[in-house]
Amino acid sequence: MILWVKRVSAVANGTLLLTLLFFQGHPKVALLAAALNLGWAINERMPSSLGKFLPSTGLVVNTGLSAYGILAGAPAGYAVLVAVVSLVSWNTSLFLERWPDAPRAVQYLYLRRLGGLVALGMGAGLSALALQGSYSLPFPLALSAVVISGLLWLRLISGAIEKER
Amino acid sequence: MTRSWSLVAGLSLVLFLMGLFLKNGALLALALPYLLFTLVSFWRPRPETRWRLEGNVEPGQIQGDQPGQGTLFLTNEGKALEDVSMTDEIPPGLKVEGNPHQHGGFGAGQTQTLSYKVTGVRGRYEFPGLRVRVSDLLGLYGKEEFLPWPRTLTVLPKGERVKKIKISPRRTRVYTGVIRSRESGPGVEFFGTRAYVPGDPLRHLNWKAGARWDLLITNLFEQERAADVGIILDARKRTEVRANGESLFERSVRAALSLADYFLDEGNRVGLLIYGRFLEWTFPGYGKRQSAKILAALTQAEPGDHPVFQEFKRLPTRLFPPQSQLVFVSPLLQEDVHPLRYLRAMGYRVLVLSPDPIAFEKRLLPEDEITAVAERMLRFERQAILARLLRAGVRMVEWDPSEPLRVSLERSFKGTKR
Repeated sequence: MILWVKRVSAVANGTLLLTLLFFQGHPKVALLAAALNLGWAINERMPSSLGKFLPSTGLVVNTGLSAYGILAGAPAGYAVLVAVVSLVSWNTSLFLERWPDAPRAVQYLYLRRLGGLVALGMGAGLSALALQGSYSLPFPLALSAVVISGLLWLRLISGAIEKER
Repeated sequence: MTRSWSLVAGLSLVLFLMGLFLKNGALLALALPYLLFTLVSFWRPRPETRWRLEGNVEPGQIQGDQPGQGTLFLTNEGKALEDVSMTDEIPPGLKVEGNPHQHGGFGAGQTQTLSYKVTGVRGRYEFPGLRVRVSDLLGLYGKEEFLPWPRTLTVLPKGERVKKIKISPRRTRVYTGVIRSRESGPGVEFFGTRAYVPGDPLRHLNWKAGARWDLLITNLFEQERAADVGIILDARKRTEVRANGESLFERSVRAALSLADYFLDEGNRVGLLIYGRFLEWTFPGYGKRQSAKILAALTQAEPGDHPVFQEFKRLPTRLFPPQSQLVFVSPLLQEDVHPLRYLRAMGYRVLVLSPDPIAFEKRLLPEDEITAVAERMLRFERQAILARLLRAGVRMVEWDPSEPLRVSLERSFKGTKR
């Protein structure tokens, strides 16, 4: 299951970066970034030296390209989305490398935890952009985003407290 | 913290500093998801670990291809842990069947078992302990511990049961054995006749000879006694042939063990000298205890180089009783002829069991013309060595290591009385 999460997120990354950079007028860089992310989607089938090297490289490259996109004038929300999806691909790759045959229950637990963190990261990034006036969100959407973020935070905090007990 | 955590922390820091330096709020916003990944590992409580470790590798000594069973029990005496990876560190050179590695969640008070079988080539293996790695599910926090749990596994060489090796040293010991002593006395083999002396057993009278000489003639029999046997294992590195993970020296070790066991079973006094790195001398002795000593010495035997022991001429002959039986286990070099002839001249009986290095190496080479020519040339050289030794009265057993030692010995000793 996690393998497919990693593959889908890596392909999504490639597509997002392709469109982000293509419309900024860098088709060659866009193609290279897409190729890197497509390679990342199947890194477990590559020779181990290259396969292990790819997630970290992918994360650094994607982050750099997201930052470049922002500086080049691309929509900042789009760049945050690329960064967050990169983090998903990277962390799932790490998990698969560490524990390729994890039981289903552990996979669910991991995905819930990663999902919570990703939602928080995305929410925090977009909220920061919204605070800076980059977005004018309609009121119902802003309210539901705040409520969902709040619930997730509460859940995380209560989970940590329970573990501590 | 793990390297992954450092990577994310580094990226968040770079983005944050870039945002500040360029006064770009969007870059600061981009840094936030990375910052969350960095901080989440501080938020979650650090697992404190307390372990109890038990288990062993049994039996502590295994022979040849017999497997040893490794079992380790690790009990978590601390809190429950989400992601624990544990690996029993296996010394290099051992083959593992089963899993010395386990990965998974580890509940409080729970005991995990690592169970595997190991086989290996001759030697002594030290198991240092267990490596445990505890991390969170996101892989951002990690702690590695090494739990020392030393264990030892000794893989003994496996000998072969051989029979009917006929030796006849000039001097034997006083104890009864199976070696013909060239002296008359109680025995079964006919030795000669002499005039009857009152007190001789009447059943030993030789009536035919008595009728011819008109005298009472008594048959004499040859005494059978125990002998001193010195086994010399050639451990000089220059005689070692190693290819495709196979070693000629290993074969020599097994052959030396087989011979030692045989001679000890026959009631002889056997000593062992491993000649290579230095002189590893096992003092001569009898019986099962001596067999165990020789086994221990052969388990540790390694081929080595020493400028002094390049040739057999430095062999300390004082270790071996005069006129006793010497058994060399050696692939032989050209310069070994002279020292062996010298030993023979000193009155020792010399038997050389020579594992054939050419046959051993040929199996591992492609069958082409170059190999055939090389083999022919080496064969000529080897035959010259063997012929010179045979002429000097050295008994030779040439052994192709691809066939059982027993077969070569039977072929060599077929039809010999002494």
